[in-house]
Order: sequence, then structure tokens, then C-alpha cells
Amino acid sequence: MESSALGLFMRDSSVWTYPIVNLTHILGIASLFGATLIIDLRLLGVWRRVPLAPLADAAVPVAKAGFLVAATTGVALLATKATEYAGNPYLLIKFAAIALGLANVYVLSLLPAWRARRERAPSQAEARWLTFMGGISLACWLAAVAAGRLIAYW
Amino acid sequence: MRTFARVLIAIALLSPLPALAHHGWAGYAEEEFEISGVTTTAVSLAGPHATFKIKVGEQVWDVTLAPPPRTSGAGLNATTIPVGSKVTVHGHRHKDAKRFEVKTERVNHNGKVYNVYPDRT
Repeated sequence: MESSALGLFMRDSSVWTYPIVNLTHILGIASLFGATLIIDLRLLGVWRRVPLAPLADAAVPVAKAGFLVAATTGVALLATKATEYAGNPYLLIKFAAIALGLANVYVLSLLPAWRARRERAPSQAEARWLTFMGGISLACWLAAVAAGRLIAYW
Repeated sequence: MRTFARVLIAIALLSPLPALAHHGWAGYAEEEFEISGVTTTAVSLAGPHATFKIKVGEQVWDVTLAPPPRTSGAGLNATTIPVGSKVTVHGHRHKDAKRFEVKTERVNHNGKVYNVYPDRT
């Protein structure tokens, strides 16, 4: 990965390549985490008066775009010094947290209460599930961001 | 307003990170450290920090410089110091004695000093 064309480009194209890709990575994370935070808090019971469906209509595309930007720039940052990062425990924690977060998104997308959010309100039992998944989501993305930042402190 | 306050409290509780020392110099010893050796790599201007390696006796040391733009700005580029050159680096050693790494403020090569952190003494 480090000897790939991408790795070479990241290291040798310009002294500003890394900082610019790094900045883009942060913008991606900010969009993903910010949008996800709004949905998670709503699922956890904050802003009950705000209907879930329109909130999700606005936040989900921002989260998706943020994830895409963060993931692509993340690969580039990793390729810069892949062999060095391979031994970094925080990187493994971060990847595990992202995998869990994505699995949580997938399960949520299968829930009838989530799929029917535009037609009806969730039942009490369903609402408890949504709350639970919002909590898992928040924990996953928080862990991913924290572990990601800590990569630099190893 | 109550919601705003609750969200603020939640964010504050979930944000223990700022309490950690910044990685800049916190992982390195307070004492000034200087070591001389022979370069085994050219200066790499890859992010997040420019680096090169020196050999001191049988031990290879990692020389960690400033971020790429700052290192380059101090006159230190990939072709500045040929591999196999004798250099002296001045900075701070990693706190972990098992890690042979110097976070470097100055590099002396052939009597020329490259000061990548001129704001630090």
C-alpha cells in the first residue's frame, strides 16, 4: 500500500499534499459525525417534537457524503506511511468502531420502524429499539473519532 | 433552551480528549538531547512530519522533523543531505527509552544548521 502510486503521490507530490488531504479528511469526519449526532440524539429522545423523517431526510445524505469523503481521504493518509501505521493499536480500534458503526446503520435500515418513518410513528417497543440503536451509533462514531485522533499520540 | 443545555452537557461529558496533552512535544523528554550519526535515508517530506534515519554505532535512530512545509521552509529538502552524510541532530528524545527517536529542532550538516523549529531554543 505504501509503495502504491497513491502512497508515492502523498509523499512526493508537494509538501502541501498531506495537509490538504488531512484537512479534507477532517471536513468529512465533521460532516459525518455532526449529521450522525443529530440523528442519534433524536433517536435517544432529544427533540421529540421534531419529526424523525424530515430530520433524517436532511441529515442522512450529509452523513453519507461525509463518510465517503472521510473514507477516500483516509485511504490516502494511510498509504503515506502504511507500514508505520500497521503497528498502531488505535488504528485497529478505529477500524473496529467504524465496522460496528456501519453494521449498526445496516441493521437500523432494516428495522420496520425506521423504514416506515415517513408513514407512522414507532410503537413503544420499536421506540425502545430505536433509542438503543441511537446509543450504539453514538458510541461507535465517538470511539472512531477518539481512536482516530489518538493515532497521532502513539 | 433546556434541550440546548442538555446537549451541551452531553457533549462536555463525552469529550475527555482535550484534557490529553497535545502530541507535539508531550511524548518527548524535557532535557535537550543531541546525537551524531550517519544518515541512512534522505529526508522524507511526507506528512504528518518530515523524517529521516541515522545510524549511531549499530543503532538506527528515527529523526522526526517539523511538518513538511515547515521543514522545507527551513531549507531541508529530499536532496539537501545525501545518504551517508554525517549529521548532528538536536532536539528531544522520546520518553520511552526503548524507542530510538528524536523529535528534532535543529540539524547540523557540514557546518550548516537547519533550524526547523526556530521558535524553540
